[in-house]
Amino acid sequence: FQYLINILESSLADIKFLWTEGELRLEFSPDEVIDLVEALFADLIGNEKPIPFEFLISGSYLHTSIDEYLNTNGLSAETTLEVEYVRALVPPLHVASFLHDDWVSSVDVFSSTSSAEGLQGRERILSGSYDGLLRMWNMSSQVMAVSPSPADGGHTAPIRAAKIISTTQIASAGLDRTVRLWKYSEDDEFSGRITPQLELYGHKSAVTSLAANTPSNRMLSASSDHTVGFWSTKKSDAPAPPANLLPSSSGRGSKRRKLNSSVTVPQRGPLTLLTSHSGPVSAAIFDSRDSTVGYSTSWDHSLRTWDLVTAALVDTRTTSHSLLSLEHLPDLHLLAAGTSARHITLIDPRASASTVSAMTLRGHTNAVVTLARDPHSAYGLVSGSHDGTCRIWDARSTKTDKGGVVGESTYSIPRKSLEEEGKPGSKRIGGEGVKVFSVCWDRTVGIASAGEDKRIQINRGEGIISANGSTGQ
Amino acid sequence: NIDPESLLPKLPSPEELKPFPTACGTIFRGHKGRVRSICIDPSGIWLASGGDDGTVRVWEILTGRQLWSAKLSDHEPVNVVRWRPGREAVVLAAAAGDDIFLIVPTLLDPDLEKASIELLDEGWGYAASRPEQGTGDGNKTTVPQWIRTSSSLSELGVCVVIPLRFVAKSISWHRRGDYFVTVCPGSSTPASTAIAIHTLSKHLTQHPFRRRLKGGGPPQTAHFHPSKPILFVANQRTIRAYDLSRQILVKILQPGARWISSFDVHPTSSVSSGGDNIIVGSYDRRLLWHDLDLSARPYKTLRYHRKAIRAVKFHPNGRYPLFADTSDDGSLQIFHGSITGDMLSNATIVPLKVLRGHKITGELGVLDVDWHPSQPWCASAGADGTCRLWI
Ligand SMILES: [Mg+2]
Repeated sequence: FQYLINILESSLADIKFLWTEGELRLEFSPDEVIDLVEALFADLIGNEKPIPFEFLISGSYLHTSIDEYLNTNGLSAETTLEVEYVRALVPPLHVASFLHDDWVSSVDVFSSTSSAEGLQGRERILSGSYDGLLRMWNMSSQVMAVSPSPADGGHTAPIRAAKIISTTQIASAGLDRTVRLWKYSEDDEFSGRITPQLELYGHKSAVTSLAANTPSNRMLSASSDHTVGFWSTKKSDAPAPPANLLPSSSGRGSKRRKLNSSVTVPQRGPLTLLTSHSGPVSAAIFDSRDSTVGYSTSWDHSLRTWDLVTAALVDTRTTSHSLLSLEHLPDLHLLAAGTSARHITLIDPRASASTVSAMTLRGHTNAVVTLARDPHSAYGLVSGSHDGTCRIWDARSTKTDKGGVVGESTYSIPRKSLEEEGKPGSKRIGGEGVKVFSVCWDRTVGIASAGEDKRIQINRGEGIISANGSTGQ
Repeated sequence: NIDPESLLPKLPSPEELKPFPTACGTIFRGHKGRVRSICIDPSGIWLASGGDDGTVRVWEILTGRQLWSAKLSDHEPVNVVRWRPGREAVVLAAAAGDDIFLIVPTLLDPDLEKASIELLDEGWGYAASRPEQGTGDGNKTTVPQWIRTSSSLSELGVCVVIPLRFVAKSISWHRRGDYFVTVCPGSSTPASTAIAIHTLSKHLTQHPFRRRLKGGGPPQTAHFHPSKPILFVANQRTIRAYDLSRQILVKILQPGARWISSFDVHPTSSVSSGGDNIIVGSYDRRLLWHDLDLSARPYKTLRYHRKAIRAVKFHPNGRYPLFADTSDDGSLQIFHGSITGDMLSNATIVPLKVLRGHKITGELGVLDVDWHPSQPWCASAGADGTCRLWI
């Protein structure tokens, strides 16, 4: 209540407290506001940890006294201010770790809140590993299913991307240059099966990232071969594979590589390969509101917008750093891109946008290689970095300096593996042993992050970032 | 009273010269013993390394994951690894013991793998039709015959061996990728075989020099000019430029160093009107910048390291005017070095950053450095058994 008291005692001539909840708008006196706030969270206050509050003024967090704010911004006490209070962030706590034998490159989460189909309240975690295997886990840290070995139709090299498409379908991709679709089924709560469905050929180098759009049966892939792949997840729609890329056409491999296995998996090709990037493509995603629009980021420093109906390049935004990860923040009309230069840049992809970078989020100390938006808040974002941390950001927690609008992370999530080694909070040079490769944020499960420490760790906080609060004027 | 310092042109501050590498992004751990050499592939996704454990390894550049390795020698170090320039084929040349190996690592898509193997196989026909040279007279000038590797190595993609019979410590490719030059600096190497030029398409090894040049001891390292038919050869004290088509000596540089360890030719030399620029590193701790238009003496002498300089390298991409050196003091130093198109104006050289992290091991520090082909990143090889990517 530090800031609330601050506001109540400030020199503002006249404060009106308005409760805004949809259509409803009520006016309160200062005392009523305090009573109301206390009543709302009475069950939480008095528990071991009270829930702190934060105030937003004109879209940014207020971290000074209101008088200082007025002075700094050259405002008179007569100005009408938009003041909003929100529950402050609660640190996300470690709830579980899922241990692997090798580096975990990718993680995805499925829960009743991440899909319309639902799994009757059951949650699943999918991991992809450098050992070439996919694993489906239940929330008790038990492996329910493992994908087949290379001899039985599995990946022949490390996996770099894994996505749950539906309760019955999984996609993965990796250093063997293939995108693979798998049928997923469960026998009971403890066991399931991952069986090969389709092998997709088209990329000439490692496939490092995947995005799926379930309603349209489409996928996007990002490859080091400088292209974005656009694929169908249905065998019937998918074109024939390019013959020159099939393993059977390998120049010298036939005797060396024990490929041809017990199973024959249908092979298909891409709907389109989108070309124009001049460096490895790091990420390709769908617009979260319009599945006919795609975005991609590359080591060539650019973010590109694609019309997926015509396979046309719509727009190119060039930054000053290689871009290694991408997420869409649709309510803010922004795309977040993680860079090799340790920051996240928020880019407005609309043609009308005047500047390339709308905001810069600083705090990581190594490459930012994975991003996921907050399922609770339009302003929230989690990033994973080769510095061995995930960071949580709120696009409203910013300040303006000479470099433009800059944000700082509200929480940093360290690796549990460091704590278990008795070295919590220690810094590893080059993120050695603790690099984060993939992060995913689910409303029910929380933040799942995977990395070089051969584990997925799950962190959860109660209402980490508030979606919206109440407004005072 | 004018402060003479105030009359000097003011150098830009490092802050204005971003981007350049400032911190360790990745540590590559796996080699047992010293890592002698590293090289980033032309596509920028793989780092190759070679070291005292006799292995060559290829790593995923940002994650530091080892993807491929081959043991080339049981007892002798891999002294140098260098990727062939160009994107139409992938070939890694490595020197281990007395041999040069040509490698197509088993990491490629079928098309590229086929193209790369065909490129290496093309020369077998030429070699077979060529009359054997010098075998009868029994002297030491016999040219090496290229041979196939054992099946265990060829399964890993190690395709060709060139038995040099002396230890090569330097491999440098011509920009077009059909030639590379090797140097065997050992004092026991006969002068006539120390420098060899190898032609990939013909499996042909030639020794262009008959005699050792007077003054400066055995040759140390050599590089082709990026655009002209010129070969630069450094011995301990001088760098000589030879015109290969006319077979004449065209220039002698006198860096003033007592023992040259390494040099590099600026990638845009002669392409722009700026002329040729060369950096030289020496065991006696000097880093020298030569502008060949100006003089046979260095334009600038930089003494920043406490111990021997092991390697120097320009960024290969004209986009980033950067160069780096590495030292036995355990550090790398990053410099800005821009040349203008104007023949009369000189290079601007600004020290930007000292990168520390490698541990000095057996009095040796950082043994090699390479730049990423398209990013402002560099990688280093350490006597401490690690490679590091600096971003
Ligand atoms: Mg000049």
